[in-house]
Amino acid sequence: MSAPVTRAPVILAGTFSPFLDRFRRLLVVAAIFVIWELAVRLGHVNTLLFPAFSSVLESLATGLGVGGKPVLWSYIWQTLSVILQSFAISILLAVVLTSLALVSKLAKDFLFVVTGMFQPLPSIALLPMAILWFGFSRESLVFVVVMSMVWPVASSLTVGFATVSRTLVSLGRNYELGAVGTLVQIMLPAALPMLISGLRVGWGFGWRTVVAAELVFGATGSSGGIGWYINNSRLFMNVADGFAGILLVILIGLAMESIFLFIQRKTTLRWGTEAG
Amino acid sequence: MNARFSHTMGHIAHGRMAGLEEISEDASLRSDTVVDIEDVSIDYTLGPGKRRVIRAVDNVSVSIRRGEKLIILGPSGCGKSTLLMALGGFLPISGGVMKVNGSPVSRPSMERIMVFQDFNQLLPWMTVLDNVQWGIRKRHPKMSQAEVASLAGKQIELVGLARQADQYPNTLSGGQKQRCAIARSFAATPEILLMDEPFGALDAINRERMQQELNNIWSEQESPTTIAFVTHDVAEAVLLGHRVMVMTSGPGRVRAIVENNAVGRPADDPEVMMLCAHLRDLLKEEIT
Repeated sequence: MSAPVTRAPVILAGTFSPFLDRFRRLLVVAAIFVIWELAVRLGHVNTLLFPAFSSVLESLATGLGVGGKPVLWSYIWQTLSVILQSFAISILLAVVLTSLALVSKLAKDFLFVVTGMFQPLPSIALLPMAILWFGFSRESLVFVVVMSMVWPVASSLTVGFATVSRTLVSLGRNYELGAVGTLVQIMLPAALPMLISGLRVGWGFGWRTVVAAELVFGATGSSGGIGWYINNSRLFMNVADGFAGILLVILIGLAMESIFLFIQRKTTLRWGTEAG
Repeated sequence: MNARFSHTMGHIAHGRMAGLEEISEDASLRSDTVVDIEDVSIDYTLGPGKRRVIRAVDNVSVSIRRGEKLIILGPSGCGKSTLLMALGGFLPISGGVMKVNGSPVSRPSMERIMVFQDFNQLLPWMTVLDNVQWGIRKRHPKMSQAEVASLAGKQIELVGLARQADQYPNTLSGGQKQRCAIARSFAATPEILLMDEPFGALDAINRERMQQELNNIWSEQESPTTIAFVTHDVAEAVLLGHRVMVMTSGPGRVRAIVENNAVGRPADDPEVMMLCAHLRDLLKEEIT
């Protein structure tokens, strides 16, 4: 790559590093898949237990509708709809709780204690109780996912609110914004960098929790999510399908990450309010 | 002669010179005052249980006339910013009367718009144009979009940011940010503009340029905007202020209120130089 330039390698690395980094990382990914494929094909691995990468890819493509019945989409939608609903509820809850904490000492203490209590608890541990309370229903799933998301979002937002510039708060007072006006027009946009990073962490927790809950839980009503799909593949010994499901979980996680990055580019990075 | 200023008279009497006149508050001026500050004191509470009381501003009386630029000049810690913040409604006063157009100041209001020293007074998520329009919309919710846009455009043009109108504040220099804040404040057409060392954080070259331009922007307004401007810079005070109120520190009191007939004149103008020297004397005496 850098053959003609030998005198200033440091500068070159600096100039082209985003491109080179991306290229190297793609190479690593490709290498993993190649080694996987070769190991399975040449290493006398039982493909019933550990399928080759190519069969996983084929399963994934078929499941998504390329040369087969597009069965995967309904599983994807099931999982996504649960997590998106939970995400919306979590954001609303976090905004309400942290806003109350801005105006009331009691609410602040409540938020502090409750966040401290539930942050370290893997919310999947609440699933048995949720099943007791809500039955094998969508509500149970939403409940545990919300419990995994709302606390990291709330604690980031608390920090975000605390670090809003005093001058901007004064500006809001000067232009006679009320409590809601200040929240919507000053506090939330100013806290957006922290909010986004909280949402990112919250999404990460929620995504893990929803897949885990589906694994334990199975289907709600007639439809199940990706976790359910993965577990079913084990039951019917379609291990390639199971791997395809896992790959899908990873891919959706990555896609979500780029959506967050996109939102940041359009907002906080553009405004220069992103710290660091 | 108003009795309130009698304690400053002893000094003024021997300091009388061209361009300086002590203030007499006759009836005709009184009728056209925007701000009446009478015997205002402001206390801070400090320490555990807020038991330590510190007097930041002591018995200050001054009236601000409609359409004038009044400079509040004093050393750091003389309570000049505190007085301005109280006038803005951001701080409660501990004693006296503070009225704007006859009604007591109790809370922040768009009648009294502040321009802060802090560059971060712009909403970072809005462009220059949107920041200015935001202020106008808050102040005049019923104004049509076309009017809002034309008013904003005019003020942005006046502060020299026409080319930056679509830029976000993070792409502006400190001086440009202050220009935008000034455009937003003028566009909101307040009864009085409160400026708290708006150029204090600028480099010297930009500061001088902005001072000149503030005079231009002020004179280009349809009706003259009343401004209370806090500074510790004597030259700035003489360049900008129709009257200069000199404050002493610990606690902040009015030392003198000086008329300035040399607003906007160059620094080497004899009258400007004399007035500057006089103000420096007033400030110097205070230190010893």
